[in-house]
Amino acid sequence: MKLKKANILLALLSIIIMLTSCDNVFEFSPYEANVKNANRNTTAKNLQLIKDIQVNSDTFKFAFVTDNHFHYNSLKTVIDDINRRNEILFVLFGGDITHQGLLKEYQIFHDILRNLHKPYLTVIGNHDYLSNGELVYKQMFGDYNYSFDFNNNKFVIFDDVVWESNKNPDFDWLSTQLYDNQLFNQVIVIAHIPPFSDPFDNDMEQKYKSIMQENNVQLSMHGHVHSYSFERVYDDSVSYLTVPDLKEPIYCIINVYNKSFDFELKEL
Amino acid sequence: MKTKDIFALIVAILFFSNTFAQDTTSLKKRSWYIPDYGKIQFAGNIGFFSLGIGYQFFNNHLYSELLYGYVPVSISKAKQIHTITIKNTFPVFTKQFNTIALSPITGFAASVETGNNSFVKLPDEYPEDYYCTNAFHFTLFIGAKVYMDFINEKIIKGADIYIEIGTVDAYLYYAIISEEVKISQILSTAIGVNLYF
Repeated sequence: MKLKKANILLALLSIIIMLTSCDNVFEFSPYEANVKNANRNTTAKNLQLIKDIQVNSDTFKFAFVTDNHFHYNSLKTVIDDINRRNEILFVLFGGDITHQGLLKEYQIFHDILRNLHKPYLTVIGNHDYLSNGELVYKQMFGDYNYSFDFNNNKFVIFDDVVWESNKNPDFDWLSTQLYDNQLFNQVIVIAHIPPFSDPFDNDMEQKYKSIMQENNVQLSMHGHVHSYSFERVYDDSVSYLTVPDLKEPIYCIINVYNKSFDFELKEL
Repeated sequence: MKTKDIFALIVAILFFSNTFAQDTTSLKKRSWYIPDYGKIQFAGNIGFFSLGIGYQFFNNHLYSELLYGYVPVSISKAKQIHTITIKNTFPVFTKQFNTIALSPITGFAASVETGNNSFVKLPDEYPEDYYCTNAFHFTLFIGAKVYMDFINEKIIKGADIYIEIGTVDAYLYYAIISEEVKISQILSTAIGVNLYF
């Protein structure tokens, strides 16, 4: 009997130890949107880090990674590779950083990104809108649309998710942001869905295309289609780049020069 | 004399066995739809609180429950979350100590939720097979329960208190396919009570 009591005690003790090692002792629903304080305002924190980077030439490099969904091993492989390359100054994520828009997936992404030794920014993707992802994204990262400038280049991060967000992309905001394009060496737009992809109807596609063209955007970067393409799709001065998803570890390094850019696709 | 004694004995046996039988039938032969117990659970990915009814099957080897779970706005930081769950618990074995019985338990639950940008059927604007449904989730758990028999109680005959450690199907899948997702990241706890009628 004494032995049995000891066994029960041991079982209880191991349960208590297991509980205290859990990240969240209690979870109420996969649809929760309760982001921990430490994980909030990630965009603002990283924008500050990017602002603090000192560059002494017109030329610099940044990485573009997109559509990691639940390919967490590939994500880690890519992060490790980016860490090894000192010349990459920051990383942009092209959306679908989650698969079902679940808080847990956002937390896993955020935790893995702690391994990255450089600032990173994200644009929201269609998958990130699922479940309560829209609310989680807002708390964990911040605004869906934002812009920043780096080394006299302007970066505009644009939420162009249509179906899942139940709203049209805010093209007025996009135009306003690009209005001052003449002040910058180059202007680069990052949006999850390329304008020539399914969720865009013809009106939206034309609208996006003309905003890019009228505002001298050099490069429009996207994910969503899970394949590589680089083209002046509309026979104008705007280059459209799509980068594959992270089913295999693959990402893009963009080299920005004074008035031009080129890039290399890294397959790891 | 002897026949009278034997007759008395038979009557006595019949009487006692009959009362015994009546006793058990009053427990067992309830209409099939009358639940065996009520349940209230805290946490476990099926609601902040969930409430429902349960049935015992296969000589108490399976406990099946229908539950409604609720997460208020103050907890979800989103809309209210309403979850309907069918939960199945299997006691692995039972150790009896007087009026207390201890069982390690394991089981799974299937939940459905709609209304938080989740859908059972893909809305019309999407191309076919654009997404799988995101309204269903399965949870798996292991734990332990303590049963207490309330002797001589007429309404509530006994109660379980249980504690579980569990996870959601998608989380478990991520932990299996990737070493970047730690087991400690995906596990959480639930506690609850079953009240036997």
